[in-house]
Order: sequence, then structure tokens, then C-alpha cells
Amino acid sequence: MRKDKGDMELAIEVPQPRLRAVPAPAALSPDASDAELLARVGEQDREAFEILYGRYVRPVFSLALRRLGDRGHAEDAVQEAFAAIWRSASTYRPERGAAGGWLYTVARNAIVDRLRRNGPTADAELPELASVEPGPEQRAEDSYVSWRVHRALEELQPREREVIELAYWSGMSQSEVAEYLGLPLGTVKTRTRSGLARLAAALEGESL
Amino acid sequence: MSREPTLDELIGAGATGAEREQLQKAHELLLQAGAPPELPPQLLKPPGVEVARRQRRRVVKRRTLALLAAALIVALVFVAGYGVANLRNGQSKPTAAAVLALKGTALEPRARASLVLWHPYDGNWPMTLNVVGLSKLPPQTYYEVYLVRDGRILGSCGSFRVSGPHALTVKLTAPYALRRGDTWVVTRQGPGTKEPGETVLEPVST
Repeated sequence: MRKDKGDMELAIEVPQPRLRAVPAPAALSPDASDAELLARVGEQDREAFEILYGRYVRPVFSLALRRLGDRGHAEDAVQEAFAAIWRSASTYRPERGAAGGWLYTVARNAIVDRLRRNGPTADAELPELASVEPGPEQRAEDSYVSWRVHRALEELQPREREVIELAYWSGMSQSEVAEYLGLPLGTVKTRTRSGLARLAAALEGESL
Repeated sequence: MSREPTLDELIGAGATGAEREQLQKAHELLLQAGAPPELPPQLLKPPGVEVARRQRRRVVKRRTLALLAAALIVALVFVAGYGVANLRNGQSKPTAAAVLALKGTALEPRARASLVLWHPYDGNWPMTLNVVGLSKLPPQTYYEVYLVRDGRILGSCGSFRVSGPHALTVKLTAPYALRRGDTWVVTRQGPGTKEPGETVLEPVST
């Protein structure tokens, strides 16, 4: 309504409207903690689920591949693990433990379910030397170490991750990595060092 | 991986004290963890939310199917018995028929691979290619594995892509009647090409 000059200002109390706008959920930061993301996934937040997926798809796939020994079954197990996470995220209670540990348990259970349904594949069960084959406890520990390290790798900057992966798993020397990436050797070493430091911090920071 | 790098080799002798200890710990955990597997393209995107609902429906479906499965058991027992009778020496695990080592050509000098040829079933020879050091290719280009007989390319056994030079395992099939002396090469295929491209991996013996 247009106000005329002669209108008086009335000091009346305006009642609060009964209908209030529902506050939009706070924007998600890509740096949100796993626990924050899980809480949002529990409220069926698709964006949070996608961030969580990006952080954990490799560790889950790695774990599935170790246990199932078959890429096809492992891919199915990853889908099932994340479907289970989507369904049961609302049951996660931060006071009972870290989000990483909860996710590991849900993923492992989904993988074990698939293992029971399919039975182990030949590849998974092919020991090269029976006498040095690790026992179940050692295998579980190895799986858990891989889970933690592969998850922590997701925290690295892409350029750090690239040199770490090449240095550790391509069989190349640092000079070869430098040549391959077209970088000075010093830069490759600096990135490796900062990547290792970030990785150490990520592994230390998690309380699984 | 045949060679494990040392921390000194990777970062030099710069770091000392607590920092060095921390880096050493991360270094050892990386070695213990091993390489994360190559993510298949199907897993690059998260599953649709529908998947969760589908999973729930699947549980109900599974119960129904369990009943049907029970009825099929008799038939399966017969089929399994038939299969067992056909297994060689009673072995149930696949055994390798041959292993071929491949080395990178001048195009991919750092690449190397091993091709494991498993015993055939129904005229198909399953193969597992373990490859490392191949370069990531531009979009719409890929690597192709070809069967070679008498020095000529006979047919394709499958294709794959890599996202970097790290180790990758690919399952392939040779749907041919193989002969002694047959071998394989890996080529680089450009977009839209049907003809074999340039060879990037060739048998070590040639």
C-alpha cells in the first residue's frame, strides 16, 4: 500500500505470522566431516550422499575386490554397500564411534552378504604359497589398513595424489616420474613430501 | 610391484625428527595398503537413490525366488554332476594354460604386461591381462588386444582404457580356436577406426 505524507506511523505490535518459511538446509561444504555428511544422508540429502560416495567409493571397491576377488561381484557389492548406507544412515550415532568406522562396518557387511550369496570366486581363493598365506585376523587387519589409507588418499590434492600413486605403484623411479610428468625432479619430491605429510595428518586425524 | 621405493629415494634426506617419523609411518602404511584398484566407469557416479528402494524390493523378490530355486535344485544337481564329469582331473579351479609376457614398444617404452590364458570353455579362452605403465589416452581412444597368428592380426579379444600408468587388471576372452604359436599384441585405437592401430605392447620374445 502506498503511504501518503499525511499518514501517521502507528506503533502497534504486529503479530508474528503463523506460517514461517522452512529454513533451507545450510549449504554443504565439500570439507564437511563424514559425520556431518552421514547426518544429512540420514535426512535423504542427495548432495551429501554424492560427496560421501566420492570419498568412499575407492575404499569400498578395494575392500570388495579383496574379499570377493572378482570385479563384477565387487562392483555389485559397492552398489549394495552404498544402497545400505543410504538406507541406514539415519541410524548412525556419532557418540558411538567415528563415521569412518561405521561406514567400514556397513560396507563390510554388504560385501560379506554378497560373498555368502555367491560363494568365493576362484581368483579370490588362489593362494600362491599356502604356507605364507595370512590368516583371517591378518587379512582383516590388512583390509582395514587399505581401507584407511585409500580413504586418506582422497584427502590429497590431485597433483599430490598423482605423484604418490606413480611413486609407489607404477614401479617408476622419482626421476622417471619427473620425466613422465614433465616436471623438475625437485617438484616431484616436494609434492611427494607434502602428499605424505597430508596423508599422515589425515590418518592421524581419523579416530576409527 | 617388483620394486618398493624407500623414503629417502622419494623425498631426499630433508625431513628430520618428528616430521620424518610421521612421513615414515605414512610411507609404511602406503606400502602395506597397496595400490587402490582402478575404478570401473560404472562406479564413477553414485547409484541413483532408486537403488536403495530397488534393493528393498529385491529382498522380497529374493524370498520368492528362493522357493523357485528349491524347485530347481533337482535340475541343478543333474547339471552340476554333468559338469563335474567334464572337469579335468577333478579340478574345480581354473588353471592357466599359458602366460605371455608383453613389453612396451617405442610408443610406450615403460609399459609392460602379462597375459594369462586360462583353459577354455565352450570355445572361449578366458584371459587376464595385467598391465602397468600405459598412458592415459584422449577421449574416444582406447587400447585393443589382438590375437596374432603367423605374424598377422587375426581378430580382436577386447578393448580397455586406463586412467594412468598404474597397474590394471582386465578380463578378456579369445573366442577363437587357438593354435600353438598364436600370440597377442595391444594396439592404440583412434576414434572411429576399425583397423588395428599402432602396437604399444608386443610379446617379449619377438
